[in-house]
Amino acid sequence: MFTAAGFATAWEYISLFQQGLVCTISLSLLTVVFGFILALILAIARLSDIRPFRSLGLTADGHLREQGFLTLLSRFNPLSFLATVYVEVFRATPMLVQLFIVYYVLLADVPMPSFKLFGFIRFERFFPGVVALSLNSGAYLSEIIRAGIQSIDGGQTEAARSLGLSQVQNMRFIILPQAIKNILPPIANEFVTIIKESSICYTIGVQEIMYAVSSIKGATYRIAEPLIIATVIYFCLTFPTSKIIAYFERRMSRGDKR
Amino acid sequence: MATSGSLIQVTDLKKHYNRGAIKALDGVSVSIERGDVMVVIGPSGSGKSTFLRSLNLLEEPTGGSIIFDGVDITKKKVKNAGGKLVKLDIDQHRQKMGMVFQHFNLFPHMTILDNMTLAPVQVKGMAKDAAGEKALALLERVGLKDRAGAYPIQLSGGQKQRVAIVRALAMEPEVMLFDEPTSALDPEMVGEVLDVMKGLAREGMTMVVVTHEMGFAREVGNRVLFMADGLLLEEGTPEDIFERPRHPRLKDFLSKVL
Repeated sequence: MFTAAGFATAWEYISLFQQGLVCTISLSLLTVVFGFILALILAIARLSDIRPFRSLGLTADGHLREQGFLTLLSRFNPLSFLATVYVEVFRATPMLVQLFIVYYVLLADVPMPSFKLFGFIRFERFFPGVVALSLNSGAYLSEIIRAGIQSIDGGQTEAARSLGLSQVQNMRFIILPQAIKNILPPIANEFVTIIKESSICYTIGVQEIMYAVSSIKGATYRIAEPLIIATVIYFCLTFPTSKIIAYFERRMSRGDKR
Repeated sequence: MATSGSLIQVTDLKKHYNRGAIKALDGVSVSIERGDVMVVIGPSGSGKSTFLRSLNLLEEPTGGSIIFDGVDITKKKVKNAGGKLVKLDIDQHRQKMGMVFQHFNLFPHMTILDNMTLAPVQVKGMAKDAAGEKALALLERVGLKDRAGAYPIQLSGGQKQRVAIVRALAMEPEVMLFDEPTSALDPEMVGEVLDVMKGLAREGMTMVVVTHEMGFAREVGNRVLFMADGLLLEEGTPEDIFERPRHPRLKDFLSKVL
């Protein structure tokens, strides 16, 4: 199965792995940045209180109605609804399907500059990969952000509002500073997940680590050895990252027990 | 509504849930005068907390009115001086109503001093130094000046509740609302919190107190309300309520708690 000669052969193509590593890291970093921005927008939309038909829920003398269709309509928040649909659809469908839809359907006819990042990454394949991964991780990250905000005890908001703080001031001074502690560690963990999931992009020809494996397989007819090398690279990438995250997580929770 | 001199005039206040299947409040009318120490007692589920929380709209009533300082705060829109309908600014009214919670609800990520100065600085626009001095003076009053730089986690329950009381006082409210302020405390800490509340009552602060401390009701209250099933069943002086109870539900309740 494995032979020393096989490793020696695979090792001749080490520059492909180096390129793959650079590509995987840039893919993951860009994804976590764009995914986070998208996630923030989604989380804010889902937690927003924009109800265009709110006034229908009031009776003529300005009180809340107790029941009925108008009450339901007055609670309808289109922004939150759309964001929820987005999140649920992206979490309920396979990443591969999303990637193919982005690459072969959505961006198929979009003209893209055909330059090469770092001199080797084909942009017209790399870009759809970033888009698909960001759209997908945005859905997951938004749930992390939403859960982090909602995990803060409702009594905090009640105390803040009863002191006269507005909704925005409550978010800024009370909720977000506490929520960020809950949000950062899972976001870092999501980064580790993205590193691993980015391997799927080799199916559309993004030159990340798995692409290197399949190139070497095509050139040398060896698969076991390149796969082992890829495994080691992925492990060296994700294991220290999650250990570092766990360390900071422990340090942050120590702050709570001051 | 300049006709009555009441600070808060509550009329036929209702809070219904589930299409009226659950009536947490079912038509409560009471007027709170300046300087009143009104103690609300009753079995759990009687609606006394809902009543208190409705006073500063932490619960939105489904019917009735609460006229505070001449404004019906249950209305979403009110007429301004020019007779135009404008959106009611509930934050403005909440500033004038201090609220103390069963579970303290101090902000855990801020020092005691920051807990106390946040609202005066951010809501009232007080200078930070002035707010700090005032906070220290208030802390001295409750014997906690030396803990100004501590975090809530470092305080005992009784200390936390004393801070919560002075945090509300820092906004110079016209009325203080207490929602079972001693129910979450270890027995040996109840006294220190009640002492602070007694001091406040002696100074003439208008207070509405939901409590199970019958001793406090009898000693400090000038009016006692007995609630059950979302209704105000009996109202009177502490002597009326405790020595000459009339309603059978009240007699039954007193026989269980005294």
